[in-house]
Amino acid sequence: MAVISPDAPLISAGDRAPRARSLTLGLCLTLLITSVFGLAVGASDTSLWHALLDLAAGRELSLRDEIVLWHIRLPRLLTGLLVGAALATSGALLQGLFRNPLADPGIIGVSAGASLGAASAIVFGASLPMALQLGFWLVPMAAFTGAWGATLLLYRIATRDGRTSVATMLLAGIALSALAMAFTGLLTFLADDAQLRDISFWNLGSLSGANWAKLSLAAPLILLCLGLARILANGLNGLALGEAAARHMGVPVQTVKRLTILCVAAATGLSVAISGGISFVGIVVPHLLRLIAGPDHRYLLINSALLGAIVLVIADVISRVIIAPSELPIGILTAILGGPFFLWILLRQRGIVDL
Amino acid sequence: MTRPAPMTRPAPLTLLQLAMTLALGLVTALGIAQRGIADEPVRIVSAGGSITEIVYALGQQDRLVARDTTSNHPAQALELPNVGYVRRLSPEGLLSVNPDLILAEEGAGPPETFEVLEGSGLPIITIPMGFDLPAVQEKITAVAAALDVPAAGAALVAQVTEEVEGAQKAAGLHNQRILFVLSMQGGRIMAAGRNTAADGIITMAGAQNAIDGFEGYKLITDEAVITAAPDVILMMQSHRPGAITADDLLSHPALSTTPAGRDQAVLQMDGMLMLGFSVRTGQAVTELANALATAGH
Amino acid sequence: MSLTADQINVFAGKTQLLQELSFKAIPGQLTAIVGPSGAGKSTLLKALCGDIAYHGSVHLNGRDISTEDAATLAEQRAVLAQATPLAFPFTVWEIVRLGLRGDASPTLINQALHSVDMDGFSGHFYQSLSGGEQQRVQLARVLCQSWSATRDLGPRWLLLDEPVSSLDIGQQLRVMHIARQFTETGGGVVAVMHDLNLTAMFADSVALIANGRLVAQGTPQDTLTSEALSAIYGCNLQVGAAPTNGPFVMPQMASL
Repeated sequence: MAVISPDAPLISAGDRAPRARSLTLGLCLTLLITSVFGLAVGASDTSLWHALLDLAAGRELSLRDEIVLWHIRLPRLLTGLLVGAALATSGALLQGLFRNPLADPGIIGVSAGASLGAASAIVFGASLPMALQLGFWLVPMAAFTGAWGATLLLYRIATRDGRTSVATMLLAGIALSALAMAFTGLLTFLADDAQLRDISFWNLGSLSGANWAKLSLAAPLILLCLGLARILANGLNGLALGEAAARHMGVPVQTVKRLTILCVAAATGLSVAISGGISFVGIVVPHLLRLIAGPDHRYLLINSALLGAIVLVIADVISRVIIAPSELPIGILTAILGGPFFLWILLRQRGIVDL
Repeated sequence: MTRPAPMTRPAPLTLLQLAMTLALGLVTALGIAQRGIADEPVRIVSAGGSITEIVYALGQQDRLVARDTTSNHPAQALELPNVGYVRRLSPEGLLSVNPDLILAEEGAGPPETFEVLEGSGLPIITIPMGFDLPAVQEKITAVAAALDVPAAGAALVAQVTEEVEGAQKAAGLHNQRILFVLSMQGGRIMAAGRNTAADGIITMAGAQNAIDGFEGYKLITDEAVITAAPDVILMMQSHRPGAITADDLLSHPALSTTPAGRDQAVLQMDGMLMLGFSVRTGQAVTELANALATAGH
Repeated sequence: MSLTADQINVFAGKTQLLQELSFKAIPGQLTAIVGPSGAGKSTLLKALCGDIAYHGSVHLNGRDISTEDAATLAEQRAVLAQATPLAFPFTVWEIVRLGLRGDASPTLINQALHSVDMDGFSGHFYQSLSGGEQQRVQLARVLCQSWSATRDLGPRWLLLDEPVSSLDIGQQLRVMHIARQFTETGGGVVAVMHDLNLTAMFADSVALIANGRLVAQGTPQDTLTSEALSAIYGCNLQVGAAPTNGPFVMPQMASL
């Protein structure tokens, strides 16, 4: 059919895959450095270096150092890595599915659903019967249930005869989010002063509550979703040319849609459940990576996970030392840093590449 | 009083449970006492404004190493490192000041933070909250016990009791209706209902809370404001820019139609003094009662 | 081994777009679907692709397409749509690569770009190209898909929806040559065509469609007649015979 010339150039103009792969490598290294940073820096004077020296010499750590490193910083670091990776990957996935660089999990009702769940737990938690008093599990579980429930409902609404209409999902998502926000508003009306403060703090997000118990519950599912995202890459690449073209190229479009939505609902739902509302990571990270190495999802998804993790860990380190021994909610930081950065990208890009 | 508090959850008590709870309480009390003797805490974090005041009143302020955001009295307390908002304490932030005891108001948290700290063996004593004289007495006693200064505690209890009872007697009983406004949000008023510090201080000053339809602080509608028909509006003094002022309240359409609005009867008092339910509560009752006597009627 | 539609009916709400339409294309031939605007040409092509719901049956290489999964169909046929909206800033090279199946050699990408005369464009952003250039890049992607298919499921097919609509005359001829070459290597091409003269020049078989029905299917000489064309287009069209290229269609001034 086609004659393949043996002397064709190895790297073609327009092929950004090599760049994307070196970026992956660079991000991996940065992530390692960031992680060490995340373990070493904190409000207390516990030194990672001394602790490692002690361990190497066979000495036992003091109880306090052990608590700080093992029960505070390490679970917090891992939670930050997972949540950052999950949020950025979810953003990239949804942007691919909706073919829009501005899509975020809010579009499929995750954020509003999680807020409603969390607010319900905060307001009604105290009056629940004993059996449902779950301690610190209550709010995360309610948030996850809210996020997951909203997305499944939305998926049901938008799916007819085995086909999910992305446009219906978008519109119904706006309606459903508005409804959930109205109910959250109703709850804030019912809430007393302390509960109101809890709700607003929850919405600001924080990794301060990270612990092994939450991490061990959320981590397997988030990792599963991140793995699943990898196999969705080719399908999402196809979708960039529209659903029909994707189908013509052999993409099982409905399967890709379903998996993407479930994956995002689970990963974001869990992230939001264990860390509250953290904005902008899901939009800024994939957008930046698309500018650097192109929109090919085979690289975009993995790079988003890496950069999302890096960004969140750095933001968390800043949040815990900037006003130590007190702490700034991380959602404030990501929005304060992410907002202007995003505007800068948009202004710089205007007229160069029309998104 | 250490976490987890076994008695705070409503449950039908069987005899056995009662016995066990008593035993547990005894052990806990002994534990505190023993630790007090063997290993007196000298690096204390106070998470709660009323606790900080009590520590100062007991003369034990040298043992404080950090405080929370709500601890703003006395002014020297502001020089201590701030570990954040009392319901959002960060575990490493608390540990970073090397405390050997945390005194926490009931409601301080989040639970995750206290769970980690308990794992580190750091004692946390929860001080009960309440909005009447017995609650103040109980608070002082609990703080004094935790600091192992029971005699000073008893003296302080006696002094505060005398002040409060004297102030209450002087205030007498009258039927002024007071609306406590915590804040305004988008033109709506967040008012104090039953079982709040504001309700407590109003009652102790011999007046009536104009709101009795709900518990806690809630946003209320304009019609509820009119129905409440307050004679006096009470609010916290704030020097922060953007905080609501008496003029804001008086220009509120619903409030302006009430007796308080017509008489321009708006009282402002220091928030911690008025709502702290701590050592200065007697002073708070006196100030409020005096202000009420001149305002409104 | 062919691409056939048997008595298909397509509805959009209550409107019937195709009525009892039967159609057949065989490999080694370029089959043109011709008819006035709104006749149902693109609808027929969508049905052949399996993009829309229809009553009746469509068989590709002897297998009912409604029972085949997307990947199996993609191994047998590639589709060029009228317009392909793009969501993200892909480069030309990356767009064509999207067509590449499995582990096929990336040299096919350059090959495909060369065949549509877009050699120097591989580093350009797709969105910066003109409509005609974009259409040629998409054709390169479609070729790339067909070339890199590996499973032996019968002859390969290209389904093209108005492949030359936004091209100048030189590019039109070039694209039609590519389609012809595809048939000469044993593949089958089905193309929705507006240009009757290009159709007459390049098509082996013409399916004439009007009002959702098949009017005639056969060689250009048999189907592109003055009477048939004048009737379905509602104007006076005279068909003459060119010395080398088969029939040519000449619209008449006082035609209505």
